Amino acid sequence: MPETLLPILIFSALALAVIGAWRRIRLWRQGRPAEVDLLQGLAAMPRRYLVDLHHVVARDRAMSHTHVATAGGFVAAAVLMILVHGLGWTNPLLGGGLLVASATMFVGSLFVAKRRCDPPARLSRGPWMRLPKSLMAFSGGVFLITLSTLGLLPVEAGHWLAALVLAGLVTWGLGELFLGMTWGGPMKHAFAGALHLAFHRRPERFSAKGGGTGRSTGLKALDLDDTAVPLGVETPGDFTWNQLLGFDACVQCGRCEVACPAFAAGQPLNPKKLIQDMVVGMAGGSDANYAGSAYPSPGLGGKPVGEHSLERYGSPHGPIVAREGTALVDAGTLWSCTTCRACVEECPMMIEHVDAIVDMRRFLTLERGNTPGKGAEVLDNLIATDNPGGFDPGSRLHWAADLDLPLMADVQQAEVLLWLGDGAFDMRNQRTLRALVKILRAAGVDFAVLGTEERDSGDVARRLGDEATFQSLARRNIATLSKYRFQRIVTCDPHSFHVLGNEYGDFYPQGRDGRYDVAHHSTFISELHEGGRLTFRPWKGGSVTYHDPCYLGRYNGEYEAPRKVLAALGIQVAEMARSGFRSRCCGGGGGAPITDIPGKQRIPDMRMNDVKETGAELVAVGCPQCTAMLEGVVDAGAEVRDIAELVAEALVEHSTTQGTVRASRPATEEAIP
Amino acid sequence: MAFDAIFQPVQIGKLTIRNRVVSTAHAEVHATDGGMTTERYVRYYEEKAKGGCGLCICGGSSVVSIDSPQAWWSSVNLTTDRIIPHFQNLADAVHRHGGKIMIQITHMGRRSRWDGFDWPALVSPSGIREPVHRSTCKTIEEEEIWRIVGDFAQAARRAKEGGLDGVELSAVHQHLIDQFWSPRVNKRSDQWGGSFENRMRFGLEVLKAVRAEVGDDFVVGMRICGDEFHPDGLTHEDMKRIAAYYDATGQVDFFGVVGSGCDTHNSLANVIPNMSYPPEPFLHLAAGIREVVGVPVIHAQNIKDPNQAQRILEGGYVDLVGMTRAHIADPHLIAKIKMGQVDRIKQCVGANYCIDRQYQGLDVLCIQNAATSREYMGLPHIIEKTEGPKRRVVVVGGGPGGMEAAKVAAERGHEVTLFEAADSLGGQITIASKAPQRDQIAGITRWYQLELARLKVDLRLGTRADEATIQDLRPDIVVLATGGQPFMTQNPAWGYSENAEESLVVSAWDILSGKAAPGRNVLVFDAICEFSGVSAADYLADKGARVEIVTDDIKPGAAVGGTTFPTYYRSLYEKEVIMTSDLMLHKVYREGESLVAVLENEYTGVQEERVVDQVVVENGVRPDESLYYALKAQSRNGGQVDLEALYAARPQPCLAEERGEAGDGFLLFRLGDCVAPRNTHAAIYDALRICKDF
Repeated sequence: MPETLLPILIFSALALAVIGAWRRIRLWRQGRPAEVDLLQGLAAMPRRYLVDLHHVVARDRAMSHTHVATAGGFVAAAVLMILVHGLGWTNPLLGGGLLVASATMFVGSLFVAKRRCDPPARLSRGPWMRLPKSLMAFSGGVFLITLSTLGLLPVEAGHWLAALVLAGLVTWGLGELFLGMTWGGPMKHAFAGALHLAFHRRPERFSAKGGGTGRSTGLKALDLDDTAVPLGVETPGDFTWNQLLGFDACVQCGRCEVACPAFAAGQPLNPKKLIQDMVVGMAGGSDANYAGSAYPSPGLGGKPVGEHSLERYGSPHGPIVAREGTALVDAGTLWSCTTCRACVEECPMMIEHVDAIVDMRRFLTLERGNTPGKGAEVLDNLIATDNPGGFDPGSRLHWAADLDLPLMADVQQAEVLLWLGDGAFDMRNQRTLRALVKILRAAGVDFAVLGTEERDSGDVARRLGDEATFQSLARRNIATLSKYRFQRIVTCDPHSFHVLGNEYGDFYPQGRDGRYDVAHHSTFISELHEGGRLTFRPWKGGSVTYHDPCYLGRYNGEYEAPRKVLAALGIQVAEMARSGFRSRCCGGGGGAPITDIPGKQRIPDMRMNDVKETGAELVAVGCPQCTAMLEGVVDAGAEVRDIAELVAEALVEHSTTQGTVRASRPATEEAIP
Repeated sequence: MAFDAIFQPVQIGKLTIRNRVVSTAHAEVHATDGGMTTERYVRYYEEKAKGGCGLCICGGSSVVSIDSPQAWWSSVNLTTDRIIPHFQNLADAVHRHGGKIMIQITHMGRRSRWDGFDWPALVSPSGIREPVHRSTCKTIEEEEIWRIVGDFAQAARRAKEGGLDGVELSAVHQHLIDQFWSPRVNKRSDQWGGSFENRMRFGLEVLKAVRAEVGDDFVVGMRICGDEFHPDGLTHEDMKRIAAYYDATGQVDFFGVVGSGCDTHNSLANVIPNMSYPPEPFLHLAAGIREVVGVPVIHAQNIKDPNQAQRILEGGYVDLVGMTRAHIADPHLIAKIKMGQVDRIKQCVGANYCIDRQYQGLDVLCIQNAATSREYMGLPHIIEKTEGPKRRVVVVGGGPGGMEAAKVAAERGHEVTLFEAADSLGGQITIASKAPQRDQIAGITRWYQLELARLKVDLRLGTRADEATIQDLRPDIVVLATGGQPFMTQNPAWGYSENAEESLVVSAWDILSGKAAPGRNVLVFDAICEFSGVSAADYLADKGARVEIVTDDIKPGAAVGGTTFPTYYRSLYEKEVIMTSDLMLHKVYREGESLVAVLENEYTGVQEERVVDQVVVENGVRPDESLYYALKAQSRNGGQVDLEALYAARPQPCLAEERGEAGDGFLLFRLGDCVAPRNTHAAIYDALRICKDF
């Protein structure tokens, strides 16, 4: 009987799967067009899977092994099953292979099942709870039937009842694994995930051999001149098709949820739920079947974490954020994001949450003018004064009135262009800037500043969705920069660093190529020290920890230079549990302090608790935003200092320079009481 | 940005000043080396520059001519090229920190003394006597005028060659230039007096000569008065005309404006408004000058608070604010604003200890900041954490000495407990603050309260420490600052008793602290003539009592200080308080419901009587020594202070001695009035110089 039944089962399952796939693809195709090199993507896919994706998955060793066994076993078993049972090639070698594959898969399934015994909160329940059973049904069923087919079972085992049970198991397994892959079960992730890797909107984020540079974090430019479509994303159908594909690949593992600072702060954002909501929107229907953690929504009438929120409905061409009443998500969900990229960094499916959020913010800001909190004011300020605080643009250099900084307009060229950033208007950051100037002078660096010609980099405007203001700032800054000759831009602001280095490239005038060589001050200081241009006296303070700024670390991969500088100062960094690529955001990115979505606690408070756990008396930072956020914590146990400040204090100034600089410029800072 | 108006740089002439805050010219009285600026002088200004002050104008009344005596107030001497290298040190020290520095130059004319040093004949336009200094003078001759014009130019050259950024010509405080301006003093009928142009001529010639000497790339400013406040003096409208006249020459880079003239004791008090004045009382005068001139205007006078400064600048009343006493109290004022530590600024309370010392020819010191002008001795404004052992320090007494001791010890990183018998900190400051118009003195306490809270000092208020409580804490160091009590038993015939029912007299402290209710007809006997006596009299009068204040000294309030006794007198006269001198309180006795005070004339021995219902005695302080003697024998140093180390601000040698186990004895120091009755500054100074090395 199996000999007749199995091919029918297998091929009808395959046929149905193909139909499912066609339907699924149609769902994705509702999205806007996107240029993708399909063939090259498909060719790169295996490597992207085996190298890039597994690089992420392998951070959880046990789960990685489980997945290798289960998925590897399944892929092999599925192919061999088609050959052995579908086409009847009962060659012992193939049969033996099938036995090994299905057994491996079965063992893997046991571990999947084990994880599902007491699953952590981040894992979605619902259909995902039956997946291990389905995997076991499939692998166990195939194993036994194969034994029987190979005549390794004593019986004409053909007690029909047993056969029927086995057939049932296999049918169940085929249903979950083949049909589910394309019709929308948990196994959908394999199909969508594989294609997402192939057709990813950021092929450059994969390792070089996978077709990229290994990192791609700059936001994609919005075509402001395309009048045919709304600016940004209003409906699920406004995402590009490969973004929709990416959402569909989500395995609901909840690693993003664990990493998300807004979720932990009780703000109404859970990246996993957001992605699932986008899937709901794409496919139509409601989120009633979502079985993971809800958006925390204190005071907004929602329910506590872990329960379903009020049911939300979506459709591919219906608005994601309703003007009135509720649609798929609340605007507050989108504005809670700090754009810290912790979710993206953790996502094993390479989903680009931040891109999606900014796309939706663009619509809210540009089409609806609905930037919440102080957002509208900040954008108005940027439009009127080229800086978010609305300060007199002529006052950008007030903090340096006594420093005689060389101006690019005067010197025309310099080795280093010191980019001040909008911290130039902030009294706290002015201390960092002064420290940095002192360091550059001690090292004899030939530098100059743009002074009042500098404008805000546009970081905040862009993250608040105001692409128009961003592009205007970018173009004007580029025009200014292109007047002068310099080898390098150095800045103490990772946001400027990121935007200038990674996002201005799209706006160079025709005929100019290449990116600015931008360095974070920690990188530059580290180089100066290694080049013997700076000498430090040994650290005498207490224990120190280091907070990785998101836009330096996750966005730009610079984890080492700040630590090298601290080591050069003689500081042994007491690392926080969440550091490096897993650093927890300070809460200051993405305009989050401006939109100020309420939660049950503040992100910087949580971060200062992380600091406290290390017992450090001082937390070294490398970002004006982080400094402001962390220093804003009431009764914080640790002092917050920029790396530049620590370096400036430790500088041993060479006696040779003292005579020459005598009266012309301040050698030391104001007293710091 | 908060305080953005303060931090807006400003251009004066060709000079950029990094912010809008100025330490205006005042006599430091410590350019002691024959008028040459000393290390002490340089460090005093360097500290301000380090602390972020935009512009320092140093050397109030620095002299340009040898017949304007330098030595009385040790002012800077610009009559010789010897000053140039000294200026270079000064300029370098300030420039090193991004500050700018100018000097005020002047010829004081009649406003000086002739009875010493070179015994000059002072000069003035019409030879009219000056009352504040009781100085007579000759009528200046044309030759002398031209000599002095030339001296101004040479002095300005010396300032420029010394690397300073500018000079301020003093035409304020009735110096020679404004002696010529004022028809009250200038009665001449030649080309130097009479008409407006003639009265302006001397100042104009000085300005022209100075500008010709220094050129355009050196700042030349002028400090003027906003209104002399004399019926026959220069009015505000006159001053506007004068300012506009000089401004029109295009040769003045800035004007500094001081409200009020100062050639009487009463008007002098306006110039450096003490705590009885409202904030910026004369801003309107400076703003009036600003209306008529085209260059920046600087105004000082009771601007002490960053918010106040911001408000004034934001309002556009003036271009720069002088925060001079504010910087004497806290030279790091600007840095603290920048650090977001506005609540850590030691704010000037207007006690005018600084200026009142200056008028006595003593070095300018701050009542509450003992490090100011002692930077050269190594007395720190910022107390570094110790690298030595952490100690357990017990301070007894929450007056100024005790608060400073606790603050300094805590900054050093020690574990500090402070006992205060009263329910709040402050000690005698609290009592002093009860008098009318004296409430701001409590600002001293308020700052310490904030600092002690920030430093997490264990405050045991309402707790009288005794030997046992102190020993229980097993301290390494005990600091006693227990102050004292009014000295009421010196003359038994006063009839003082601890028992208030029986006592015939009460103390000034009893009155001010509210312990004794004010009588209706009160005699205050003040043997001391400092603040307490006049404060008690003013307080009583304020509560409706008829008051006579009697002293056997020169006059009640005689020791209060030149800028402060006038404000007391205004208040006392207004309330019809009778001030009687030369009488000593001989005896008090009861007669029926009344008290009879027997007063004896110091010079004739004649006695007279007053029938009153309350007699208040102010006879100074008797140290409270009991706890000291209870602990002295047990202490490792026997309570002794090494005076050589103390005076040189070096660590007390006993601090370096090996310690045994905890509880193995302690070092004992005492400070302030519990040693000998002195003043707030003395208590704080002792506390700083002893505790900075804990």
